[in-house]
Amino acid sequence: MPNLSSRLVTATRRGAPTGVPFRALRHIPILLTGIGALALISALSLALGARSVPLSTVADALFGDAGGRDALVVTGLRLPRTVIGLAVGAALGVAGAVAQGITRNPLASPTTLGINAGAGFAVVVAIFALKLNDPVEYVWFAFAGAAGAALLAQSLARRAGDIDPVRLALGGTVLQLVLLSWTSAVMLLNQRTLDEARFWLAGSLSGRTLATLWPVLPWLLLGLVVALAVSPALNALALGDDSAQALGVPVARIRLAGGIAVVLLAGSAVAVAGPIAFIGLAAPHLVRPLLGGDHRLLVPGCLIAGPLLLLSADVLGRLVIRPSELEVGIVTAFLGAPLLALLARKVAR
Amino acid sequence: MTSAALFARTTSSARIRLRRRVLLCASCGLVALFALLSVALTTGEMGMPAGTALRALVGLGDPGDVLVVQQFRAPRAFAAIVAGAGLGVAGCVLQRLFRNPLASPDVMGVTGGASLGAVSLIAAGASQTLIPVGALAGGLLSALLLGVFAWRSGVAVTRLVLTGLAVQAGLAAAVNLLIVRFPAELAGSALQWTTGSVYGRTWTEVWGAGGAMVAALAVTLVLHRRLAVLDLGDDSAGALGLSTSAARLQLLFVAVVLASLAAALAGPVTFVALAVPHIVRFLTGPPTAVSLALAGLTGAVLLLASDLVVQHLLPVEGLPVGAVTATLGAPWLLVLMFRQSKPVHRSHA
Repeated sequence: MPNLSSRLVTATRRGAPTGVPFRALRHIPILLTGIGALALISALSLALGARSVPLSTVADALFGDAGGRDALVVTGLRLPRTVIGLAVGAALGVAGAVAQGITRNPLASPTTLGINAGAGFAVVVAIFALKLNDPVEYVWFAFAGAAGAALLAQSLARRAGDIDPVRLALGGTVLQLVLLSWTSAVMLLNQRTLDEARFWLAGSLSGRTLATLWPVLPWLLLGLVVALAVSPALNALALGDDSAQALGVPVARIRLAGGIAVVLLAGSAVAVAGPIAFIGLAAPHLVRPLLGGDHRLLVPGCLIAGPLLLLSADVLGRLVIRPSELEVGIVTAFLGAPLLALLARKVAR
Repeated sequence: MTSAALFARTTSSARIRLRRRVLLCASCGLVALFALLSVALTTGEMGMPAGTALRALVGLGDPGDVLVVQQFRAPRAFAAIVAGAGLGVAGCVLQRLFRNPLASPDVMGVTGGASLGAVSLIAAGASQTLIPVGALAGGLLSALLLGVFAWRSGVAVTRLVLTGLAVQAGLAAAVNLLIVRFPAELAGSALQWTTGSVYGRTWTEVWGAGGAMVAALAVTLVLHRRLAVLDLGDDSAGALGLSTSAARLQLLFVAVVLASLAAALAGPVTFVALAVPHIVRFLTGPPTAVSLALAGLTGAVLLLASDLVVQHLLPVEGLPVGAVTATLGAPWLLVLMFRQSKPVHRSHA
């Protein structure tokens, strides 16, 4: 793995660590293109689905000029879904970038830190024990489970000492395996739990109302603010703990703040949409070749790339087996697995 | 070759001590296996003394006893023994092959492939007897995928592990898709399969998988010399005239066959393959061909004991054995990671 970390380090050096002028201007065209693509995919997300609506009708419906069934579909179902997709995607993308920054590990992501599995286990236990049956009621259990698993995984990773991507990935995966098998065991205990939980566990944006988003939105925004605040310091962290210390960066405090940001962001994402894999892993890898390794650009870049990826997957899931639809969590896992295989080829020469 | 070099260096008294220790462990393991087997045959809703149970096993005594023992208890116990032995040896081979204490069929994608094979056959409405065949085929298919993705002028260890994670993720997504799409009662039996259970095995399955397992174990013991040479590191092994990539592929294939056979019999039981090599190393020190056999014995004891816990000690009915092995395996894993992390230099952050 040495060539990997050194490549990351050189990338950051080129992108200037702390104290070197911040040249964002060069990247403005790329950022604008990203925002344009995001607007386009949001429009498509409003227009496409089991019942496709022309874009002009979408515009009319949004501004309240149109009535009828099409307008109702757009404002009642697709608008909340798109808004939730934007929020969840942004949270996952930024969480991925920060997780990879604080662990200095290109394979770190909310999923490999066990966050999704922890949330899944907590929700299934809640469904079993408290007989819940509405995604709005799962929110806080998912959040708590995600936080618990993330804290456990991060304490393990920190004890593992310096960067070893393979060990962290394997360790997180095994933690996930434990939680997943407990989840299955609880689901097998009664039929009702199985029936309720399997749909939530697939990870989906459909059938969520904005009422699911509001309670976690403050936490999500807080996470975003913390992530943006620590992003300059992540550049110094990429040089290694000792060098960062020498540059006067409070390494432990930055890592703690970054960890809190990851938990807040990924926890709120999973609470709203259920476990969705690979967005957090893929977004930073998509942005890095375009904007470079400077975290001051990488984190905002992921803020755009995350929702772009999530909404694209969601729209794709709606189109492949029309008039039915694939859960977005399943689409991202199918698309993400080859990506991980490609990364593995690149990382381990 | 290596064992000769090793033995030349060790004094004869140390060698004798080691051999005595292995013998002691092996006889303890056999006694434990026999004791667990008699517990498995005698306990249940209809208790009977051990002598009666053993007579009933060979077809003597009360026809009711014979029915219970021969048709229900014995196949289940022997299925656990065969599957446990396969998992133990497979885990041993994989961990030495990858020089990684966390490598196991669980993270290599083999169990994911077996789950997918079994679940697709459940989806296709195939009869109960065909499902193990599906699991076997799925496990082998995942190994093929792994080979295709990871092959690039040789098989590098890191790439293989990371690709295994990717394959596992993709296959898990496919299983998840089927479980979400199933009607509720099929989803339950599919979930039961993917967590690992030896409930309701028949003699046909036990004999079929058991025969194949014995053959695969024999091949593993024959290939053990190559494994021992690979332990020296790629450069030394190459200098000794071993084609490292070919040897690694052969061993990988055998390990995958062992794990797939186990999965065909017991489903993808987690953590047995992970924990057994560590137990054996702790008990007998440096790996030899005998300790490989001991790994099989330990795996059998572990899985049979876990299955007895599921059947008789837990208050809830119908739990899969995989949930127990995962619960026992989790603290084990934590201990492992903590112990491993000690020598690593930790920065004074």
